[in-house]
Amino acid sequence: MLQVHQVSHSYGGSGWRKSKAAAGKVLDNVSFDLEPGCCLGLLGTSGAGKSTLGKIVLGLQKPASGQVTFEGFELYTKGRQGIRKVRRDLQAVFQDCYSAVNPLMTADHIIGEPLRNYERLSPAELKRRTGELLEQVGLAAEDGSKRPSQFSGGQLQRVNIARAIALKPKLIVLDEPISSLDMVHQTLILDLLSELKDSIGLSYLFITHDIQAVMTICDRVAVMDKGQIVYHTDSPSSLPSAEHEAVQRLVSAVLPQHPSLRTSWV
Amino acid sequence: MINKWNKILKGRGTIVFCASVIALFFLVALLAPWIAPHDPIKVDLLSKLQGPSVEHWLGTDHLGRDNLSRLIYGARVSLGFAAMIFVSSLLIGVLVGSISGYAGGWLDSVLMRLCEGIMAFPNLVLVLGIVGIFGPGLMQVLLALMLVQWVYYARICRNMVVSLKERPFIAAARISGSSSWSIIRRHIIPNVQRPIVVMGTLEMGWAIMDISALSFLGLGIQPPNAEWGAMIHEGTAHIRSHPELMIYPGVLILIVVIMFNILGEALSERYGVAKLRR
Repeated sequence: MLQVHQVSHSYGGSGWRKSKAAAGKVLDNVSFDLEPGCCLGLLGTSGAGKSTLGKIVLGLQKPASGQVTFEGFELYTKGRQGIRKVRRDLQAVFQDCYSAVNPLMTADHIIGEPLRNYERLSPAELKRRTGELLEQVGLAAEDGSKRPSQFSGGQLQRVNIARAIALKPKLIVLDEPISSLDMVHQTLILDLLSELKDSIGLSYLFITHDIQAVMTICDRVAVMDKGQIVYHTDSPSSLPSAEHEAVQRLVSAVLPQHPSLRTSWV
Repeated sequence: MINKWNKILKGRGTIVFCASVIALFFLVALLAPWIAPHDPIKVDLLSKLQGPSVEHWLGTDHLGRDNLSRLIYGARVSLGFAAMIFVSSLLIGVLVGSISGYAGGWLDSVLMRLCEGIMAFPNLVLVLGIVGIFGPGLMQVLLALMLVQWVYYARICRNMVVSLKERPFIAAARISGSSSWSIIRRHIIPNVQRPIVVMGTLEMGWAIMDISALSFLGLGIQPPNAEWGAMIHEGTAHIRSHPELMIYPGVLILIVVIMFNILGEALSERYGVAKLRR
């Protein structure tokens, strides 16, 4: 479904102000495939290039080199025809639930935006659909008239998820979707995500630094370090025993249940 | 003590008060033909330079014209043209600023260098230059002021758009399939609206001052029409014998400009705009 082929990217200046010195490689020859119905975890510390990769997969950032193909359409061709074809099948949930929504809009407006762009619905029909979506993610249809500042973080992330599933997409890029939430809501959102995955038949690209979340929800895991995929496994539960140094760093960073059980310090 | 005054000055009551005073001025300007007791340009040399009377509440000027009527008609020019400058430069500025900030790259660079070029000149000098080329007259002054004012809106708007553009909800809107135009319309402009309105309120005061200043210099409205700045100018000849001819319009300019300034400050406090500007 999604093929990422030898993608490299670096951030530097743009246009005529481009400076060679500022250019640092963020992604170096990254390749992976994602099959339908699969949840691929992209694990790595901050600065490993995972979010950049997420943007590239979403069609928001043209990579310096390499190809991204989704459902047979290449994303970065001239005129961006490919992106337009796959746009509604490719959605996202971001880390910071508050800045991922326009603070002036109501939840109904936020969730209704993709629907208004792709489906011609009457206002009543639109209202019914957004209400359904709110209920699908565990909120009440009446919450649709609230603004972002009236929601808690966990609730607002549910609004974000409702917007992402509004068009019944095939792939959702989850960019640290639970990192800004407390432990209780992290678990609840993860439950909601795996429930939606089964009921709608979604695929996820789950970008995170949280090894426990990856072990809970993902079918496959790719570990990134310094812009490269350094480790790949089909059984996430075997991650703690992986011998790669980058994986061990993430494993040992997980807080133990009690400080006395801590084996190493990063 | 200062804190207490600050609180009162930026409270809700202040906003209501200033807005009502300004609204009153606009109402008077709008209804001028019905409420002005006399024809503002009718010369009556027999009753020139009179003091206040039942017939002429605020007296008459050196040509025997009714001062009150001239002040009322003058408000039309001062306020009406300031409002026109406000609206038109705001529209141009927001449009150029949004496009510049949103598009980025070379277009942004070109537009912003243009703005900086205009900003590099002192406003009044540039306006004098433009009026010098096209000749005196209200329309020329209007165009000239518009030409120098929109850059401030554009600049502020552009900076806010650049910081807004990086926020994830813009990326989310693009992922939702919104076009660039609808992102600007639905997400960017509503989010820059408040700071721009606050800034516009403060700029309104300046626009009134500029129009009056240019009319004072004889570049704006042409005699015999009434305008506050022009009335001050006419009054200068009689500053020793009849200083009230300058004081009346001067006080009106003062009140309106102060009202706009206090209103702008209070609004910026209320909307928390200082934080938004970064």
